[in-house]
Amino acid sequence: MKETWKKGLSVAGAVLGLALLAVVIFRGDGLPGWANGLLAGLGGASLGLGGGGVVMEVAARRMTPKERAELERSETDERNIAIREKAAQDSWYWTSVLLWVPFVAALVRQDPVFIPVSLGVLAFHHAFYIFHIGRWARRM
Amino acid sequence: MSSVLYLICKVHYTSKERGGSVRNRIAELRRERRVTQEELGEAVGVTRQTIISLENGRYNASLLLAHRLARYFGLAIEELFLFEEEDVT
Repeated sequence: MKETWKKGLSVAGAVLGLALLAVVIFRGDGLPGWANGLLAGLGGASLGLGGGGVVMEVAARRMTPKERAELERSETDERNIAIREKAAQDSWYWTSVLLWVPFVAALVRQDPVFIPVSLGVLAFHHAFYIFHIGRWARRM
Repeated sequence: MSSVLYLICKVHYTSKERGGSVRNRIAELRRERRVTQEELGEAVGVTRQTIISLENGRYNASLLLAHRLARYFGLAIEELFLFEEEDVT
């Protein structure tokens, strides 16, 4: 049942994404700029997530039972999980370093909007990290 | 206030990894029993790449995987994994 829902959501996401992008491409001239951007962003994200699911499903169907079992094993493989966690940790670290760039740029330009926005994003990024450390510390 | 300090310390210390080394006899026993890396991976529920990494010493198994591997070879964990203890004093 869960798998059926997952497949259905993937297909629905892909169709919705294509429909939104079609609106932007064929009817975009008659829409305001913000609506075009919003539809294109949502359409792209929806197509990416849904389409990715559909492609994965098609690829899994073409696999032999042995290949499928290997794929399932690789999803729960503890080393793969550790790799994903380490990649996420490194990604968090470098994102936190890179977030200083727009903040310093905003300071140099004396931008009244982007100074608080970039500072807020930086603070949120670290606060979110501390929040999750606390959450996992309670669970483990 | 103390909980905030606790969390900051937790962030600091969890980001540090502790050293220590564990060697294992997986490759040796696997060859002795003429088992492929693929077969061993299948038997203990991990990929062939994980078996390769374990044999090369690039990855240390979790306690659960160590237990499964030891059970597969019919050994105790400490007979399969050789712990090189650090001087903790």
